[in-house]
Amino acid sequence: MSTIFWEISKRNIRIHMLRSSLAMLGIIIGVVAIASMGILGNSIVQAVSSSLSSVGDSVIVMPYVGGSGFGGGGGASSANLMLTEQEYQQIKRAVAPNIAIPVHSTSEHMTMGVGSDDIVATIYGIPPDQTKYLLPDLTAGDYNNGNSGCLVGATFATDHNVKVGSRISVGTDGQYGTLRVTGIIKERGMSFDISTDNAIVVTQDWFESTYNDQNQYNEVVVKVTSGETADVKTTIEKQLNRNTKEKSVTVIDSKATLATIMDTFGMVTTFVTAIGGISMLVAGVSIFNIMMMSVNERIKEIGIMRSIGTQKREVMSMFIYEAAIIGIVGSLIGGVLSLLGGYAISALMLKTTQYLFTLPTLFSVVEGVSFGIIICILCGVYPAWQAANLNPIDALRHE
Amino acid sequence: MTPEALTGEDQPVLVFHDVVKVYPLKAGDVTALNHVSFAVNRGEFISVMGPSGSGKSTLLNLMGCLDTPTSGDIFIGGTRIGDMSDVELTNLRRDHIGFIFQYFNLFPLLNVIENVNFPQMLKSQAKVDEKKAVEVLQAVELDKHLYVHTPMELSGGQQQRVAIARALINDPDILLCDEPTGNLDSKTGASIMELMAELNRNGTTIIVVTHDPRVASYTNRTIQIVDGRIES
Repeated sequence: MSTIFWEISKRNIRIHMLRSSLAMLGIIIGVVAIASMGILGNSIVQAVSSSLSSVGDSVIVMPYVGGSGFGGGGGASSANLMLTEQEYQQIKRAVAPNIAIPVHSTSEHMTMGVGSDDIVATIYGIPPDQTKYLLPDLTAGDYNNGNSGCLVGATFATDHNVKVGSRISVGTDGQYGTLRVTGIIKERGMSFDISTDNAIVVTQDWFESTYNDQNQYNEVVVKVTSGETADVKTTIEKQLNRNTKEKSVTVIDSKATLATIMDTFGMVTTFVTAIGGISMLVAGVSIFNIMMMSVNERIKEIGIMRSIGTQKREVMSMFIYEAAIIGIVGSLIGGVLSLLGGYAISALMLKTTQYLFTLPTLFSVVEGVSFGIIICILCGVYPAWQAANLNPIDALRHE
Repeated sequence: MTPEALTGEDQPVLVFHDVVKVYPLKAGDVTALNHVSFAVNRGEFISVMGPSGSGKSTLLNLMGCLDTPTSGDIFIGGTRIGDMSDVELTNLRRDHIGFIFQYFNLFPLLNVIENVNFPQMLKSQAKVDEKKAVEVLQAVELDKHLYVHTPMELSGGQQQRVAIARALINDPDILLCDEPTGNLDSKTGASIMELMAELNRNGTTIIVVTHDPRVASYTNRTIQIVDGRIES
């Protein structure tokens, strides 16, 4: 680096502080726009990913209703919207050695004790020996093996002050009896298979005897421990949807769905970041304008430099340094502000800042800062080239 | 091609041989220099005089390697400049020619010492001889306390002394001066010309382009140029 040209560039920025500061402001805004959009997008992707990834090894089979969708819950309905015992057995054989878990579900009134408010929540009925495969994490208590016990979701437990040992009266006026809470299920967030956060989980026997709902299921969840979820999905479809005109089941590959959701979030993040990039381009135009002004103001000085033996590349370097200083300082300030802004936005919108200092999020800041510096240098190249290629005689005559 | 022969003592430091410079314009070609030939020996103090539009500036640009002739040859220290690249011509200007301008043309962002050191930094960025700048500033009789001042804080005469010091810093073979006193009062102008005469007595070859007979009176020889031709 030529010290004298670096020094001249610094002094020229200092002497035109207002102009340089305004150019830097443009770059700061550009970097903040790009980086904060990236931070927010990546934080959302990570937040969603962390709440969904736990069910990434499931294949969900539901009765065919003419379209596709996912999610448990819903009430008991007509037989043609349920999976039959025969279909379950077919699925079970097709996916072996993977575990196929039949799931009953319905919505039900319940109370937490005498005088408490009547609430409505989902009840899932699952075979007790398979519950641990579907719900491997409990925060308190243990799995219920008897028909008088149940598990409750994390949100349900918090909202209704339910603890292990609490009793829940099921049905209007407790018509279906009382269940004792044996365990609290760890918060699962959004799920493809069953959503237990605001639900209770009972044994399959209790559910079937209570609702007289035997040999038909709302869904079957296959926990894939051997092979790929996509292969399991294909196998089930081949077995159960032989008649292509009248499908009997809808099969959802949670891993593929998860990947699609992540891709969509990724595209949205890219799109929003690209919109932020427009402000960076505007800032780049401002840098270009300022550099052209700088060249035009210093034509005579360039002529003097060239006449006393300054090479074209040295003249060029002087203007590139100037653009680079504006770019580096502006981008670094923008990077710091992006982190602060990202922290504030994450805290306000996501209620957590745990995703702020992760690799993808920090990469957004690096991306914004690098883009700012590169844009500034690129916007300085043409004015610098023009300065370097001025005819020394014409430049010396310039007033 | 590099001007390695510039240091030869007995050969002319500058030779113009049948030089023609034509500027092609839309309205028709303009011949600024018409078959000009002359030589400048080492240690000479020459003035170039002529009326406005006679070709003085064109001659100065060609002598300073800022331009190349349409035809004819220019030799600096025996080296023909016509075939040199822009990089070589720039290095030649940096190492062998000192420029002094009518309007001083110092760099406003640099102080006196930095202005004087500038050509030295171009020549050898890693090694700048700080003593050399002080020596040349003492040679042009500039007060020490002004060394850290910027050009805007100096008088016209002081600025021209700094410009002369800058022109001398790389020990040039030729000092080219374009109306060096044109922007100074007569007393300051006279002191600057005294300084130049002193430098010439110490061996510096000086060519002054001027229309002022008082400036020409300090020189040993005058080249009169009229309508692109040398009259004497």
